[in-house]
Amino acid sequence: MTKKRKRLFRTLEILGPVLFFCLPFFLEEVDRGPYILDLLSMVGLYALLSLSLNVILGHAGMFHMGHAAFFAMGAYTTANLNLTYGWSIMATLPVAALTSGLMALVVAWPVIHLRGDYLLIVTIGIVEIVKIALTNDIFGLTGGPNGLISIARPSIFGFGITRPQHFFYLIWVMVGLTMILFYWLENSRFGRALKYIKEDTVAAEGMGINTTAYKLMAFIIGAAWAGMAGTIFASKMRTISPESFSFGESVTMFTIVILGGSGNQKGVILGSFLVMGLPELFRNFEDMRLLAFGAALVAMMIFRPQGLCPPKPSRYRLPSPYDSKYPGGGHC
Amino acid sequence: MGRFFSLWGYLVLTLFFAGTLAGEAQAQDKVQGSVKIGIMAPTTGPWATEGQDMVKVIEILAEEINAKGGLNGLKVELEIGDDGGSPKTAALAAQRLVTSAVVAVVGTYGSSVTEASQDIYDEAGVVQIATGSTSIRLSEKGLKRFFRTCPRDDEQGRVLADKVKELGFKKPAIVHDNTSYAKGLADETRAIFKKEGLAEVYFDAIIPGDRDFAVALSKIKAQNPDIIVFTGYYPEAGMILRQKKDLGWDVPMVGGDATNNRALVEIAGAEAASGYYFVSPPGPDDMNSPAAVKLFEVYRNKYKELPSSVWSVLAGDAFNVIAEAVTKVGSDSGKIAQYLHADLKNYEGLSGQISFNEKGDRIGEVYRLYRVDPQGKFVLQK
Amino acid sequence: MAHLVEQLIYGLTVGSIYALIALGYTMVYGVMKLINFAHGELFTLGAYFGFVFLVTLNWGGFFGPAIAIGLTVILVSGLVAMAGHLLERVAYRPLRHSDRLAAVVSALGASIFLQNVIMVVWGSRYRAFNASLLPTVVWQVGGQNIPLIRLFVFLVAVAVMLGLYLFINRTRLGLAIRAAAIDQGAAKLMGVDVSRVIAVVFIIGPALGGLAGLLVGIYYGQINFNMGQIYGLKAFTAAVIGGIGNIPGAMIGGLVLGLLETLGDAYISGAWKDAIAFVALILILVFRPTGILRERVAEKL
Repeated sequence: MTKKRKRLFRTLEILGPVLFFCLPFFLEEVDRGPYILDLLSMVGLYALLSLSLNVILGHAGMFHMGHAAFFAMGAYTTANLNLTYGWSIMATLPVAALTSGLMALVVAWPVIHLRGDYLLIVTIGIVEIVKIALTNDIFGLTGGPNGLISIARPSIFGFGITRPQHFFYLIWVMVGLTMILFYWLENSRFGRALKYIKEDTVAAEGMGINTTAYKLMAFIIGAAWAGMAGTIFASKMRTISPESFSFGESVTMFTIVILGGSGNQKGVILGSFLVMGLPELFRNFEDMRLLAFGAALVAMMIFRPQGLCPPKPSRYRLPSPYDSKYPGGGHC
Repeated sequence: MGRFFSLWGYLVLTLFFAGTLAGEAQAQDKVQGSVKIGIMAPTTGPWATEGQDMVKVIEILAEEINAKGGLNGLKVELEIGDDGGSPKTAALAAQRLVTSAVVAVVGTYGSSVTEASQDIYDEAGVVQIATGSTSIRLSEKGLKRFFRTCPRDDEQGRVLADKVKELGFKKPAIVHDNTSYAKGLADETRAIFKKEGLAEVYFDAIIPGDRDFAVALSKIKAQNPDIIVFTGYYPEAGMILRQKKDLGWDVPMVGGDATNNRALVEIAGAEAASGYYFVSPPGPDDMNSPAAVKLFEVYRNKYKELPSSVWSVLAGDAFNVIAEAVTKVGSDSGKIAQYLHADLKNYEGLSGQISFNEKGDRIGEVYRLYRVDPQGKFVLQK
Repeated sequence: MAHLVEQLIYGLTVGSIYALIALGYTMVYGVMKLINFAHGELFTLGAYFGFVFLVTLNWGGFFGPAIAIGLTVILVSGLVAMAGHLLERVAYRPLRHSDRLAAVVSALGASIFLQNVIMVVWGSRYRAFNASLLPTVVWQVGGQNIPLIRLFVFLVAVAVMLGLYLFINRTRLGLAIRAAAIDQGAAKLMGVDVSRVIAVVFIIGPALGGLAGLLVGIYYGQINFNMGQIYGLKAFTAAVIGGIGNIPGAMIGGLVLGLLETLGDAYISGAWKDAIAFVALILILVFRPTGILRERVAEKL
């Protein structure tokens, strides 16, 4: 990469998000602005979910296809606290994180040691069980197949979040904060341990890393974040029902992470745009739209098997002459 | 090279998105002299049949209107929003429709899907006429611009329970499938049985999409009911009838309007389906209003079959009342809502006369009792 | 515990269909370490091909039920096998040397694609098979109702599985498949044509899945474009319960899952029956982390 291109790239990297955050101002003018903003909010929500899944799947390398279970936990926690006890939405946010995290602890504890595909099917099992429980109105808390309605909109310091552009900012600011936090996490001792576990669990164990504890921690963090996404989802939709938390939703998140480039935050964001955006853009194909989406998914994987932006191999500075032999991978 | 590709890939993608977004933003070029009506329907996903039929019916009706010169000289334009049978997709579809300057929206099918879109239409002040969403609470929220052409679960539950009692059955077994529609109907029916002193001997769900109901049937049989009340949909009803016969058990069965579909007999076979009762608004075969006859003729010529269920016809009704309102009061949503509430009385729709009460629910007795005869025909009782 | 024998027979019929589909998952997984999420759609495809022959072309009327079904079985297996082979060529072969998860997402994409192709080609309606294709005979043995057709479905499935088992264990090609499953690299060095093995696996697996689809269509009489989702998921579960990659494991897993579901439905609750099956799955994996029959792949360290 030449220097010039590098500079161009840096500029784009900064300019892109800035422009993106200015979008609502432009979109207010156009007729379909609210729709596009809502779509972008939905993309942001899935980016949030996928970033949280990325900790589990991308960093710790655990095949987890049941993330919708934790998403649901957060959404139903918020809905119940809001509807029954009148809590404000923002106050339920930490509780949603807590309950989802706790749930992750309880369900993941016995199965965390399972290898790849066995863990995958167990997590699918978990999301199915959760959906069945929601449908059967477990403990009378979920409203059964109809779900719960009339959930309040959030407000921050008295400012009510109601319009599409409010949600746009709420969600994308959360995405931004999450990216910063997870970036820091990735490069912390914890993140390095996860990376080690992903590359070689046995060696990591041998080096004295408590792999079970670290894996469990990654699971809990990811789940807690999904729970918070659930809070936002519940208050944005104002009605939640079991359909929104199906196995298919878990698959969507899984696809976003792998398609974007498992382990890379920018890749995950890009993946969210594609996976959430393409079916909407294909609306003109009418009943062929999912067909086109499926074909696009296959094509993208074939042409970019590492995902659209694979993570750069990490380089840990050592005074070594071989350093320059390992240039960064795909750049996004 | 790797970096090169990524950079350009990134740029191309951004441009692609920006371009299509711009396209999306301007997609709504207001053609002078037209009135835009939205259809929110599940044209993909698990309920794609219903959604596609809804669109087909409305397209035929719209073409007919346009061929006659439109509504007060305005051409009808349809804007279709696929809700995919999922609340999340529905919210986006609804937002897309209200920002496309539609005067009113027809749809949708599933109750929980409608629920996710109600607020969006209400806030945008767009009239919504649901067509298959029978859940009671949809019209109990006090929304001024929400209507539906389908009856509510409690209405159907009442008729279902009455008919079971009228036919002289004493020990019903209630089976639903845990979808919001079937559960709602089962709960309503059960409540009315209870009020009338009829205790059900069995109440449980089957799983929709399942194919083997032998276990459920043997459990029900152990309770020795004199009738099975099934509140789910026709694919499962057909298989239950078939497997019931396979088990050599000839207890009668009664169902709700979601089983009013000729495929029921195809799945079960005429022999197994014979004697099956269901309550329903008149199905496509029995709708003999001139409008309906004409619609079905065109539909059959075009698609070589009839709409598979009554719901798409109710969507046609929703479209027709909107068209009627636009002719009378113009294309202002508020006026349309007012007209539908107050002035539309006994409109001759495809499925019979249509009027709405103050909640937006359809008024009037629409349910009839049907029975399947040994040839597999649906015969209207009394 | 009334009607226990009845329930067991129901469970075995349901389970034998799961087992047939599970074989496709497990064989592909064994050789390629790939979860073929599009397998459920191949199953659906089998049902629809059967629909074309038996209903659209009405072969039952031409040839009589027995010959018609026989012909259809052969043709459907062949056609679905071709579709499976094509799928492997287009969606999986380019990814053979990539990360495993890339192939999984490609499989998910292929699954969405195929499901919607089926919807566009045959329409989204439920399609019905002719109910009179099979005679209904019910045996009454000691107060238990035993439909003969269920035994028939079960026996067909067992016969097919037995054939497959013999093929895998008694033929050279079967040996090659087993070798490739244990260690592709070593198998290659020993002169096994791994590409051919993969091709064979992608012919047998889909053929069995398509056959299962046909059985479901004929027996239950009703098919629709997204039926593969539920069956696919259940069959995959069955394969894992048995120990994925292990062929007898898939058969046992299928039957175990069928029985679990049926007994859960019969003696606990219908609404919760799938949840019961998944809880059982998790418990099995907690105590036997690689399934009932252990996966026959050396633990990679």
